[in-house]
Amino acid sequence: MKPDLPIVMRGFFGTMLTEIAPRLNAEYSTGSISIMSMMLYLTAQEYERAAEVRVTDNAEMRALFADAVRLVQDKSLKARLEEAAGTKDRSLLVSALDEGHAALSALLIELQAHVEESTAPWAAGLEARIWDHLLASTERRRLHLPVTG
Amino acid sequence: MEDISSRLAAYLAHRIPAASDIEITGVSRIPGGASRETYRFVATWKESGRPVRRPLILRRDPVSSLIETERDIEFNAYRAFHPTGLPVPEPLYIETDVKWLDRPFIIMEQIENCVAGSPFRLDPYGEHAEKIGKQFWFHLGKIAAADPEAIGFETGMESPAPDECWRIELDKWEKVIDEDELVPQPVARAAIRWLRRNPPPPAQKISVVHGDYRSGNFLHDEAGDIRAILDWEMAHLGDPLEDIAWAADPLWAFEHPDKPGRMIPREEAFALWEESSGLKIDPVALRWWEVFNSLKGLAIWISSGKEYQSGASTDPILAMPSWYCTDVHNRVLASRLAELSKEARR
Repeated sequence: MKPDLPIVMRGFFGTMLTEIAPRLNAEYSTGSISIMSMMLYLTAQEYERAAEVRVTDNAEMRALFADAVRLVQDKSLKARLEEAAGTKDRSLLVSALDEGHAALSALLIELQAHVEESTAPWAAGLEARIWDHLLASTERRRLHLPVTG
Repeated sequence: MEDISSRLAAYLAHRIPAASDIEITGVSRIPGGASRETYRFVATWKESGRPVRRPLILRRDPVSSLIETERDIEFNAYRAFHPTGLPVPEPLYIETDVKWLDRPFIIMEQIENCVAGSPFRLDPYGEHAEKIGKQFWFHLGKIAAADPEAIGFETGMESPAPDECWRIELDKWEKVIDEDELVPQPVARAAIRWLRRNPPPPAQKISVVHGDYRSGNFLHDEAGDIRAILDWEMAHLGDPLEDIAWAADPLWAFEHPDKPGRMIPREEAFALWEESSGLKIDPVALRWWEVFNSLKGLAIWISSGKEYQSGASTDPILAMPSWYCTDVHNRVLASRLAELSKEARR
């Protein structure tokens, strides 16, 4: 059996921090090892959820755009929202998902700025919906540091 | 380190013509902030027949850093505040001639037998948290109260109009995000729009703003006395509330905003600052500076991420904040802005 990556990363974190770092003589190198071990600890979290977080984010943004199409009057923005709502993630590689996420995020910025300026009856609801997505998205990406004294 | 030792000895011989038998020992690079290379060392020499021993710090310009900083600003801040009694190291030399150490540098007093608490530890100050917290906010009040012209801080620095402080800082950090973002930043962009729609009242006073006053950027001794406030390279003239909001940012408190820097409660901290500075904290203005500072944090982490991604630096100190601190500040800002958005629609 292969040990799971998060277990390996957390193991490396412990070894680097408690066994290797204290044996280094150079102060700056000790600091670097501590940071690198911390990042391995964070990698353990990110590896497990990386695809899930991105797929969920992208799906939420597409659903948001599909609803916004029915509300937004600006023709150019409406057309781009419609097109983006119809896109799909073509690969589960993190780099491919990130590429799609970046394109959707750029459009989300434009939509949010547009909605903030609108006094239409639907604007408050759509603005709240965008924030719900951003709150959920940032929460999904929460990284936990190891608790040390 | 042998090379740097002999070059430092040559430099000190140049600076202290009366010195003889100069020796440099204990040269060690230390984690003294991500913005420049920091080394500690001890210089000994003979002067007028007497032995002299000086523990010193060398801060050398980096090849790459978190932010584009000016060594002159840092050196000038130490020079301005050292005579006032604020705990800062004594600045000794500033050198721009690259023949000495390949890059410009400053040399200052080393504060021995002290530590800096990590902002990423749950309890960085232990039993001394209250004692240190009181000094931390008292000193920040004194920085705000100082007359920048009288202490000589203003050298070559433009003093902003009180109603322009916010705009100058926002323009500066928005530009960093414009130039350095690797991917679109919806939360940062929403913050920038909110900040521009809701400017704060004019600054009550143009003060020295440290620019990075927080847990982790000062040294304290075993008795819990703050001995040196460090990392002044982002210092500028502006609204003193800017420093309060940065010091109280949730990032430096494991996201517990009620106890900034995990030291003393927020209300007590702010009351101490008001007493020490003689100034008042306007809650509306402070709210603006709190949103701004989380955005400024994002800009710094975005910039550090670009430095690492581009290959300009492989120092892990640039990679870590672009992961963890970006995550925290995006979450802190999203939560705050979602509330402000609801408030604006009511």
